[in-house]
Amino acid sequence: MTPGTLESYLLVGAALFVLGLVGFLTRRNMIIMFLSAEMMLQGVAINLVAFAKFRGDLGGQVLVMFIHTVAACEAAIALALILLLFKRGKSLDVSLWQDLREADQDPIEDEGTPPEPPKPAEFQHLTPAGAEPAKKEAEKVSHA
Amino acid sequence: MPSTYLWMILALPLLATVIIATVGRKLFPSKCHLPCVAGAVGACVFAVLTLIAVLQSDTGAVETGRDVVWINAGKMTANISLRADGLTAIMLVMVTFIGSLIAIYAAGYMHGDPGYPRFFAAVSGFLFFMLGLVLVNNFILLYACWEGVGLCSYLLIGFWFAKPSAAAAARKAFLVTRLGDIGLFIGILILWQNFGHSLEYDVVFINVKEQYDAHTLDPNLLFWACFCLFVGAAGKSAQFPLHVWLPDAMEGPSPVSALIHAATMVTAGVYLVARCTPLFGLSPNAQMLVAIIGGFTALLAAVIAVTQTDLKRVLAYSTLSQLGYMFLALGSGLGEQKLASLAVMAAIFHLFTHAFFKALLFLGAGSVMHAMHNVIDMREFGGLRKSLPITHWTFLCGAAALAGFPLLSGFWSKDEVLATTYGAWQHGHGAQPIVYGVLFFSALFTAGLTAFYTFRAYFMTFWGDEKLPHGVEHPHESPAIMAWPLRILAVGALLVGVVLGPTHLFQKVIDETWVIQAFPHLQGAHHPNWALMAGSSVIALAGIGLAYLFYVKQPSLADPAITLPSLYDLSQAKFYFDELYELTIVKPMTIFAHVCRIVDAYLLDGVVDLLGQIPAFLGFLVRPVQNGLVQFYALLMALGMAGFALSVLMR
Amino acid sequence: MSFLFADTARATGFLPFVRENWLLLLPPILGFVGIYALLPRARQTKPLWGGALAAAGLITGGVFLVHSDAVLVERVLFCAFAGLALVAGVMMITQKNPVHAAMSFAMVVLSTCGLFLLQAAPFLMAATIIIYAGAIVVTFLFVIMLAQQDGATNADRLSREPFLASLAGCVLLVALVCILHKAHDTAKIDSVIVSFRQLSEAKNIAQVKRLFGEPSPGTTTPELVVRTHGVIANVDSPVQSDLNNIRHEWNRGDKARIEVIQKHAKNVHVYLEAKRRTTASLGLDDVPRKASTPGHFSPGKLPAENVTGLGRTLFTDYLIAVELAAALLLVATIGAIVIAGRRAEGLR
Repeated sequence: MTPGTLESYLLVGAALFVLGLVGFLTRRNMIIMFLSAEMMLQGVAINLVAFAKFRGDLGGQVLVMFIHTVAACEAAIALALILLLFKRGKSLDVSLWQDLREADQDPIEDEGTPPEPPKPAEFQHLTPAGAEPAKKEAEKVSHA
Repeated sequence: MPSTYLWMILALPLLATVIIATVGRKLFPSKCHLPCVAGAVGACVFAVLTLIAVLQSDTGAVETGRDVVWINAGKMTANISLRADGLTAIMLVMVTFIGSLIAIYAAGYMHGDPGYPRFFAAVSGFLFFMLGLVLVNNFILLYACWEGVGLCSYLLIGFWFAKPSAAAAARKAFLVTRLGDIGLFIGILILWQNFGHSLEYDVVFINVKEQYDAHTLDPNLLFWACFCLFVGAAGKSAQFPLHVWLPDAMEGPSPVSALIHAATMVTAGVYLVARCTPLFGLSPNAQMLVAIIGGFTALLAAVIAVTQTDLKRVLAYSTLSQLGYMFLALGSGLGEQKLASLAVMAAIFHLFTHAFFKALLFLGAGSVMHAMHNVIDMREFGGLRKSLPITHWTFLCGAAALAGFPLLSGFWSKDEVLATTYGAWQHGHGAQPIVYGVLFFSALFTAGLTAFYTFRAYFMTFWGDEKLPHGVEHPHESPAIMAWPLRILAVGALLVGVVLGPTHLFQKVIDETWVIQAFPHLQGAHHPNWALMAGSSVIALAGIGLAYLFYVKQPSLADPAITLPSLYDLSQAKFYFDELYELTIVKPMTIFAHVCRIVDAYLLDGVVDLLGQIPAFLGFLVRPVQNGLVQFYALLMALGMAGFALSVLMR
Repeated sequence: MSFLFADTARATGFLPFVRENWLLLLPPILGFVGIYALLPRARQTKPLWGGALAAAGLITGGVFLVHSDAVLVERVLFCAFAGLALVAGVMMITQKNPVHAAMSFAMVVLSTCGLFLLQAAPFLMAATIIIYAGAIVVTFLFVIMLAQQDGATNADRLSREPFLASLAGCVLLVALVCILHKAHDTAKIDSVIVSFRQLSEAKNIAQVKRLFGEPSPGTTTPELVVRTHGVIANVDSPVQSDLNNIRHEWNRGDKARIEVIQKHAKNVHVYLEAKRRTTASLGLDDVPRKASTPGHFSPGKLPAENVTGLGRTLFTDYLIAVELAAALLLVATIGAIVIAGRRAEGLR
């Protein structure tokens, strides 16, 4: 295994980590936030495994085992908390929980659900003036 | 071990204070006098042991603690060094003995007062500081104890703090003595700066002496050092410009007046000047200043005392007057130091005897107050010698001693003072004979006045028709616990002088004082001056007779307002010193304080508030960040991390 | 991080940085512009554009950044798994429907497991599949279906601060990429190190000339030595005299002594090997020679019975940590039961 190969793995790990970070920061669904956090852990795990191979040291893999353990604990607690919060707020939206803000701050209101795009207006079809007789025939056929 | 005595003398009253202030207050509030009395008596026993040890020791002193470092900063080193020589031993015995008796007396006098534990805690604390004041061997510790006694005095004058006059008197006493204390501190700094960067008495004294012998001493410097020390002494001992606090201090309980404002604390100034005789002795001008201030205060206070109607105030002005005598004696040592030993002896001897009879008089006055339900104006009562026999007889002993009745203690000691001044008059040169001559005759006149006003008070209180203040039906004699200290002190007032004076016992002890031993030529022989004694006896008897004439025989004559109206008014109004100070010092200060308050409230506070607004405004700017969304916080954190990474990369 | 670049003279400032590293900057920036376009927002662009940008980022990244020198099969597998993982990751954070996001996450995990397998971690692969894909994702799906039966909600349709978050992610990834690149950039050394190995093994002057070219009056310094100076970038380096000697011998033309060149070329080669390792800053040399502990092997090689070694390591070197992890699991289980078992007021 060469440093170049190692670097490739590390790059993938870094990319997964940053993707998870962005997901955690942008998504408002608590479940997806949590999944993003797990993805960050995956990025770190790839790093560790690559280093274990590179250095011939199984310590890296052992560390990944512990990451899994902690991730499992975290998942259990976090899901329990998410359920609790869902029972309280009837929603998975993290924006519901802003109680830590300064006393005189107004809560942040998210923009509402984006309105459905307006349907194209349907105008009544007026009978075209001075219609050609031939077309009338055709309409009749279609009605039939 | 004699050095252990010194520690014990300090430790016992301190222990008493701590016990009373911590556990006594809660556990045995009505028995709080016990630790105080025990501490005082124990200290008295050790003080006597110390006196014996001093007399027996080869060096004439017991000392300890020179290696216990208290402060060590740069050039300044202060040790907790204690030292007892003849002078100190006398002061120790006097303070502890009088203190013990007064503590016992106070146990009866203060009985039932809600502040009972507080009183005895403060008295014990006072004893601790006072004993420390005379025991320590360096100026900075002296200063610490000096402030300590001032604090305890403040606490005790304002003991009945709910009474506005008592609170005001306490404040006045504290502030006026504070003026003197500043002088004392400056004096100490001058000594430290110029004489060997040391605060130990002996180092400073020897240094001054060496410089004097080498003719490198700047006389002005020494004069100002002595002047500053004397300002401190004058503040504490209530001498002329700073005397106004002492009469007001009589708002405190009578035992306090007896202990602190007659017998002990106010003599601290006398002690200081006596202790610094090696300095004053080398500066004739400073000594003359001491003598003039002392003599003037003695006369002034005596004149004021003649017209006062408040029994305790008469005694207070008499205290001022007698303190003036002591300073007069100290100031009569003459620059050439021939009389220095005699001067110190006379002053301390008068201090010693005065402590006995003045404490006795104050306790007697307290006893009268006790019987008259706290009424102290002599016009309200009279003819009490039948109903208060013990008080009457003991008061008479004290009054006679104070008046200088022949062969009583005041006679002997006052005679020493007069003899010293007379000697200064005879042996001085330059302007000295004139000054000391005037002072001598002024002192003689003052002696007569002393006899007059003392017996005026005595006759007004105990003679004439029995007259009781409103609301007092049956005046009753004080209980035994108050009567016995009176008796003991009365015996002291009668006999102390004759036992110690003519027998040269006192002289012998004073000669054990280190400063006098270290400067052998300060010693001087003491020859009794028979003519002077006879003269002062005649004057004292004449004063007593005059008082008898005015206040017993023909009370119609007793209205000096008719004979000398302007002088009477001046005296009655205490020469308008309070009003003068009010006008020249207090009023401008008050106006200045008002100006300061306006500046503070509007200018400074405005600036401070403005400064306070800046962070508030900044906070207002960044507050939206705290929107309570944890996710947003994480976003900020990530942005910060990104910024950091970018800066590192770009570097 | 300056210690990584201590021996390279670098320009400072934003523009010089970009000019120097634009190849490294391109993939992350493309990728995150694509992600920004894909993130759910009120005025959503067509997914096609974002997808195209993100894919472009991925491909450029694969081309510019990945330069693995492993065997072909491994390279192909790596590209497949890594690409799949990243695509699934982008999908996960951009999906509106949480169920789809969870499925994407499962995909990420599976691809990651493929990478694990490539890195000689079969046990971890199995464990990850079982724990994540099998247990955690399924639990999440349960929760999603329990809580949110109507598909995407408002919370899923609107992201919070997509621009700032993308910016932060982009800058962080750029930083990571640059640092990794700097740390692993051995290209320059690699370009000369092989020549010196061949030089040290050269049998005769002809081979030397093939490497160095003919000396001519115009060039007294062979081009290889010039490049080596550029790599070393340090006038006082210990191989300076070796290089001078080589140049001197080479200038003698046919009379050059082959054994002298061999000797000095060997010195330079050893030096460059060491330099290459430290340039990579991976410190292979300081792997502690703890032969007695079961978890250590020679660098780059893990034994065939990998799982055995892992188990032995876990239960010797990390025994206490394993016990603590067990305790942690128990505590977390109890905690989860306590928290989730609490009935909120007004529910049911």
